[in-house]
Amino acid sequence: MRRHTRRVYNLCYRFTGNAAAAEDLSQDVFLRVYRTLGSYQPQYGAFATWLTSVARNLLVDHYRRTRRDRLTDSIEDAMPQLEEKHSMTRAPDRLAEGAELSAQLQRGLARLSPELREAVILRDLQGLEYNEIRTVLQVPEGTVKSRINRGRIELARILGEMGVRPT
Amino acid sequence: MDWNCITTEERLIDFLDGTLAAEEHAAFTSHTAACASCAGMVARVGGLVSKMRQAAPVEEPPHLVSKILAGTRGPRGRERWWIGWAPLIWQPRFAMGLATVAASLAILLHAVGVTPGDLKKIDYRPASLVRAGNRQVHLSYARCVKFVNDLRVVYEIESRIASSPPMGDQTESVPAVQPRPGHESTSPDSNTRDKSQSYPRPSRRGAPQGSELAVLIHASLVNNTPRSLL
Repeated sequence: MRRHTRRVYNLCYRFTGNAAAAEDLSQDVFLRVYRTLGSYQPQYGAFATWLTSVARNLLVDHYRRTRRDRLTDSIEDAMPQLEEKHSMTRAPDRLAEGAELSAQLQRGLARLSPELREAVILRDLQGLEYNEIRTVLQVPEGTVKSRINRGRIELARILGEMGVRPT
Repeated sequence: MDWNCITTEERLIDFLDGTLAAEEHAAFTSHTAACASCAGMVARVGGLVSKMRQAAPVEEPPHLVSKILAGTRGPRGRERWWIGWAPLIWQPRFAMGLATVAASLAILLHAVGVTPGDLKKIDYRPASLVRAGNRQVHLSYARCVKFVNDLRVVYEIESRIASSPPMGDQTESVPAVQPRPGHESTSPDSNTRDKSQSYPRPSRRGAPQGSELAVLIHASLVNNTPRSLL
């Protein structure tokens, strides 16, 4: 249970960049899983993949729901404030090793398009295989690899602009 | 093989996964060796991927699991409470027990004199319940006191009769016993024995017979039993 919770929370946090939203979304994910547990078929994939699919669908819904808010506020202005507030109040990952890189990575992910962001998160931060990501995103494997590749290159460019050198 | 910067960018994922064919791998490395821009890009992306895979997962809030469990197991637990009790209640054994308890309660209420129909809403108010309980306790206490006092009177009468002297000076108030023909009273003991026959003693100290009790009360009145004892 804790392993799945951490996995879902990490996905939500990395996608939204907001700890409070990630917490709420994680709860929504498990509530939806609980309600639709009867519809889960093992032949459709592993439980973790199905869980990730549910989380991803909710994240897309959340992204669409909050689009208007993001359009009214400038992302460039809002994100540093969010990150700063996060680091002061919750900052769960600041205690871990590489906390600074994690925060910078979060800022870089926030500037990626949602399609590229989710692909990079699922592959490099969640460690899913290509076929699992294909199941989650419901797109061909070629598209999955293409999105991951473009996402990585774009993220490296963004981090370079931010002065971050992960190498 | 015609390998350019666009091809390098497109095949970067396969290069990092190590899934490029030997010929492609050679073309890739030869291009990056010649193109500084692609070499820098490959190094940056490779380092980024490595760092991301090594990144520690974000710690979830400690109360998140509890919240999720409360949100999911909570309703199910409440649902189970009813579902879990229903089969127990509807078992024949439990139903029979319930019916027996109800019948016993009805008999008890009838014996006490409580008619549920007579009870009004005001009777269920706490003040009324306390008052009724208080009254009942005092009534019970008074009944107990009366019972003990009655018992004391009976035992006092009994003990006085048992310790009273031979009733030689009371013969005028007690009906004389006619000696039977052929039976002579020559000794003092015979007189006493006659009197004892006239005033039968209780067979047991605590349980005098009805007629014996009447005689005892009569004797105690004759002996001027002080009223204070009553």
